[in-house]
Amino acid sequence: MSDAKAVADRLVKAKRLNALLTPAKDLRKSLLAQAAVARPTGVLYGMPVAVKDNICTLEFTTTCGSRILEGYRSPYDATAVTKLKAAGALIAGKTNCDEFAMGSSTEHSAYGRVLHPLDKARVPGGSSGGSAALVGAGAVPAALGSETGGSVRQPASFCGIVGIKPTYGRVSRYGLVAFGSSLDQIGVLGRSVHDAARVLSVISGRDQRDSTCEDRDPLRLPTVPESLQGFVIGLPREYFPPELDPAVRRACERAVRLMKEQGAAVREVSLPHTAYAVPTYYVIAPAEASSNLARYDGVRYGPRFNGATDLRALYRSTRGQGFGPEVRRRILVGTYVLSSGYYDAYYRRAQQMRALIAQDFRNVFDRGVDLLFTPTTPTPAFKAGEKLGDPISMYLSDIFTVTANLAGLPAISVPIGRVKGLPIGGQLIGQAFLEDEMLEAAYALERVVSPTDEA
Amino acid sequence: MSVTRDEVLRIAQLAELDVAEEALPELAEQMSRILDYVAQLSGVPANGSVKVFVPGPDAIRFRTDEVSPAPLAFGPTEFAPAFKEGFFVVPKLGQFE
Repeated sequence: MSDAKAVADRLVKAKRLNALLTPAKDLRKSLLAQAAVARPTGVLYGMPVAVKDNICTLEFTTTCGSRILEGYRSPYDATAVTKLKAAGALIAGKTNCDEFAMGSSTEHSAYGRVLHPLDKARVPGGSSGGSAALVGAGAVPAALGSETGGSVRQPASFCGIVGIKPTYGRVSRYGLVAFGSSLDQIGVLGRSVHDAARVLSVISGRDQRDSTCEDRDPLRLPTVPESLQGFVIGLPREYFPPELDPAVRRACERAVRLMKEQGAAVREVSLPHTAYAVPTYYVIAPAEASSNLARYDGVRYGPRFNGATDLRALYRSTRGQGFGPEVRRRILVGTYVLSSGYYDAYYRRAQQMRALIAQDFRNVFDRGVDLLFTPTTPTPAFKAGEKLGDPISMYLSDIFTVTANLAGLPAISVPIGRVKGLPIGGQLIGQAFLEDEMLEAAYALERVVSPTDEA
Repeated sequence: MSVTRDEVLRIAQLAELDVAEEALPELAEQMSRILDYVAQLSGVPANGSVKVFVPGPDAIRFRTDEVSPAPLAFGPTEFAPAFKEGFFVVPKLGQFE
């Protein structure tokens, strides 16, 4: 059991990263109170777990990195948080994120950008950038994040840590503030595969309060395998395009060699619709967001802006002033693609493409491939401000991660090396509800790879 | 450019979102770029026979039909901007066109 005061001290020391939204005083007080009642028999007894600010907690505010929920306190805990507490974990504050989880750099937070733990001029990735930076800086062993298009794996890759996105339906989303409901999942960031996996195992499993959560037992943690004998790992050629950063390619090749040396069979495969994944995502996610974010209207929660004289003006001024530029942009794009006359051209097409992308994966898995290995991100962490003026180039940093969200599959990012001193992750994509297999391979890769070696 | 300034205004109205006059040109430009980018989907032959992919359980699980209010630690007086005598207080309805 780590001492609650020491936990708080470590978190406060990481303050310069702007990764934590909870004030130091509140954090200290709450950690002491939580430690006093934590269940000593719980499997996570005394383990501090920071929680992304779009996951509801009774302790601390839940703002989603937005002004429109400034000061909002949730009257209930998310199921994932309830399960963490029941396992004896300490909720170690709320982490900064892109507003409503929309972004890939954690620069789109109303509470300022998060700094990369190794280079303050760079971004930690996003949208779970606060969670990733805290784990990367060693302030907590694990943190909850959320994924809609790569928001756990991409920052995990940038910060040199492990990030898991479970199968859609593996973890209850009760209390996760909705962004894209057919894509959203709570994920875990950890300093090792084991730290992330044991938190995932605790938060997984059925929940009466979320009808999209599958009626299954919690994930059972696999043991570290002796070898990778019997594993067939596919390398989708679309994820290794000729223009891929040569150092990222070298890091991946080294990881593949290490998996082969442990007995894995490796073969090249094809996921032919990969090129359409990002455009598909940027139709479906904004469409769902525009609908989900309709609830923020200045009536039921959050602050009101302006002295509006009628109801509609209240909606418009609250939303106009409460949402930041990226969220506004996505609400507008989402409203546009769903609007009369455009629905077939955009939304229906995107739905069809999503089905083809999911089919690509099924085809590969049906032919005896157990797991896919790819780079998690096309580059290591980029500089702050570099992609802010160009939404498309920002969106493209999710190019290797969005497919797993579109197909509802589990995926994990494991640190596999450094590119000019910056961490880069390798991704394993698994079959639906076969997280145990995916974790076994991740354990085996982690055991032999040198995450700080230059590629 | 695929989206005009007036279209942005119309969409913003549908989304109940105030957009500042001076922000319109940049928004129109960025929305156009995003929509032009996603328009590459229309280059793919449409296939009406593709079954829509919906992740999650195959069927909705039914619960017993009984009222079971979510246990809230505190009520709306604590988090609503204006709440009085059991009601959320809002300005008058005004003109809905």
